[in-house]
Amino acid sequence: MTDHGDDVAHLFLQQKIESFLYWEAELLDERRYEEWLALLDEDVRYWMPMRRNVKFGELEREFTREGQDVNWFDEGKETLTRRVQQILTGVHWAEEPLSRICHIVSNIQILDVKPSASAPSEVTVKSRFLIYRNRVETETDILVGKREDVLHRVDEQWKIRRRKIVLDQNVLQVKNLTFFF
Amino acid sequence: MATGRRYRGGLVDLGTGLISREIFVNEEIYAEELERVFTRAWLFVGHESQIAKPGDYFVSCMGEESVILCRDREERVHVFLNSCRHRGMKVCRYDEGNTPVFTCPYHGWSYAADGKLVGVPYFREAYHGKLDRSQLGLVEVAQLATYKGSVWATWDPNAPGFLEYLGEFRRYLDLTLDGWDGRDGGTEVLGGVQKWLIPCNWKFPAENFSGDSYHNISHRSVDMVGIGPSGSGRRDMRERLLARRLQICFPERGHQTGVYVLPKNQPTPPAYQQSPVVSEFFKQCEAERRRRRGEWGRVTGSPGEVFPNTALHPRQPRTFAVWHPRGPHQTEVWRWYLVDSESPPDVKDFLRQYYIRYSGPAGLTEQDDMENWNYAHAASRGTIARRYPYTYEQGMGFEVENYEWDGLRLPGSVMDITEAKSSEHNLRNLYRRWAEFMDAEGWDELATWRTPAS
Amino acid sequence: MSIVNLRHLQPGTRIGLSDGSTVEVVSNPLDGVWVFGRYLSAPRDASLVGTEEMIFAQDIVEIRQTP
Repeated sequence: MTDHGDDVAHLFLQQKIESFLYWEAELLDERRYEEWLALLDEDVRYWMPMRRNVKFGELEREFTREGQDVNWFDEGKETLTRRVQQILTGVHWAEEPLSRICHIVSNIQILDVKPSASAPSEVTVKSRFLIYRNRVETETDILVGKREDVLHRVDEQWKIRRRKIVLDQNVLQVKNLTFFF
Repeated sequence: MATGRRYRGGLVDLGTGLISREIFVNEEIYAEELERVFTRAWLFVGHESQIAKPGDYFVSCMGEESVILCRDREERVHVFLNSCRHRGMKVCRYDEGNTPVFTCPYHGWSYAADGKLVGVPYFREAYHGKLDRSQLGLVEVAQLATYKGSVWATWDPNAPGFLEYLGEFRRYLDLTLDGWDGRDGGTEVLGGVQKWLIPCNWKFPAENFSGDSYHNISHRSVDMVGIGPSGSGRRDMRERLLARRLQICFPERGHQTGVYVLPKNQPTPPAYQQSPVVSEFFKQCEAERRRRRGEWGRVTGSPGEVFPNTALHPRQPRTFAVWHPRGPHQTEVWRWYLVDSESPPDVKDFLRQYYIRYSGPAGLTEQDDMENWNYAHAASRGTIARRYPYTYEQGMGFEVENYEWDGLRLPGSVMDITEAKSSEHNLRNLYRRWAEFMDAEGWDELATWRTPAS
Repeated sequence: MSIVNLRHLQPGTRIGLSDGSTVEVVSNPLDGVWVFGRYLSAPRDASLVGTEEMIFAQDIVEIRQTP
């Protein structure tokens, strides 16, 4: 394969992955939660560490550790499913009435692809998000950060196998995390 | 700075059970509260496991103010105001770490971990050697206590010692801090303290955790989806079907909690059934606890509050929360989670995952509490709304002293809600004590147990 | 004279102060403001030699010897 052919494969892959992430955002914004859950691998890990203010030179301690520490989220599909089910009861007062939400996804970069761009089965992708959440009358939250995802192909479809959400906050500036990143 | 209001019998009327909305939203009352409550009470600062080695520090909060919890070279624990004595800049803007000195970035003043001012630039030259450094160490709390790993502090030198402050509530605090197998202490906090802002007065969560037994309906959605560690509900609930449900408070101290008391000879029902390993661990713990503690092993705690703003929950989840005031309309919640230090890694991990799906801003249970507090507070602000006090009348007059059941005597003023299902006994107690603090000039008036009524 | 970043001073480094003293760095709190040092020479006051003091950043004029 020529370099040019490789570039084309990467271009197609970039477009496919972006489309996937935009479609995911669409499902969440349109409150199509069950369809969103279907985009998650059965073994998905969904992790949002907390962040500490640490001294220069000690940045390895900035984030709480997956699987060891208290995090904002550190869970799999079962708990995520429960979250969706809770919203769909119609009596989860933190999400009733439902919030209005908009996920802006940007800076989508494919960091790694296995085995190749022309026949990908696993992709590591980083993106930035700006989530605007408006609730009841005047509650407005804006959350900004990064996501590091591992997607893999299952039955000709991309699924999220792993998501690490890096929120750029220390003390959380929002009263709850009833929505998905 | 008295505002001329009467709290006891006025804004807080325990004769009628009516409490004014003003206490949640009024700026002047808030300012008075910072002075009269938060400078005089004992406040939870952190856990010893967070500052295990000399030089370790954890930046915490007392009321609105940033404090440093640290351990000095001689292994003594301190709590200092996080503010340089020269011009006030924070001497530590990191969350936690280890350091030999806290250095102010503004003019370079530097303090050792025992609070002493050890570094003053140009002391010989600019100060001509005349600065009395011994008087300018970091401001230290008046009293500090460590109790089974938990660290508490007060700014008030006249406050009773911590154990006296607790009184017999200590036995209920022990339910959170003792090992689940009944040993003294032996708990540690998991790494990571959750900190988040909620748009309500601190007293809304404080009263909720004091023993709001009435709001289960609000958590129906999480009960329906079932995040509990046995796969249903939000907690293991079986003991509730078998136990006496009690609300217990200490009127002279202001502390309160809910408890469940199992009948004599009733073993604790199985729990944590989603994990055989965890279930078996707790089964062993329960057996050992009965062996060590005898009849007291029949007691399990539910939400409780150490006056004024430290919430505790001994079991599912096992956690301390502090409701830091941030103005009358906002609270910054700090939440720690506890496990037995010697429990196996599998157990700690199972509990960790359960805790964080239950509590905190991503907690399927706590989320609904916060929504309620948010809008209850907002509704308290209206000009018309403020004319209508809240009713805290539920169960008034049905409390019992010297409660005893099936061979076990429970200290405190007790409301048995097994049949009644709910009462606001504990919430009244929180506000009773709050009003006393707001009215009292000093501890002579507050430490009423020292001079029993004749 | 270049400005020294105190965070980079390893224990054992010898530094020169504005008063002509030479100090050996004993430990470094990494605050960029102070190091703990032992006086090797002190023209201003001979009694300082051998003593350990906190050394302020603005008093350091040069690095004389790295460890």
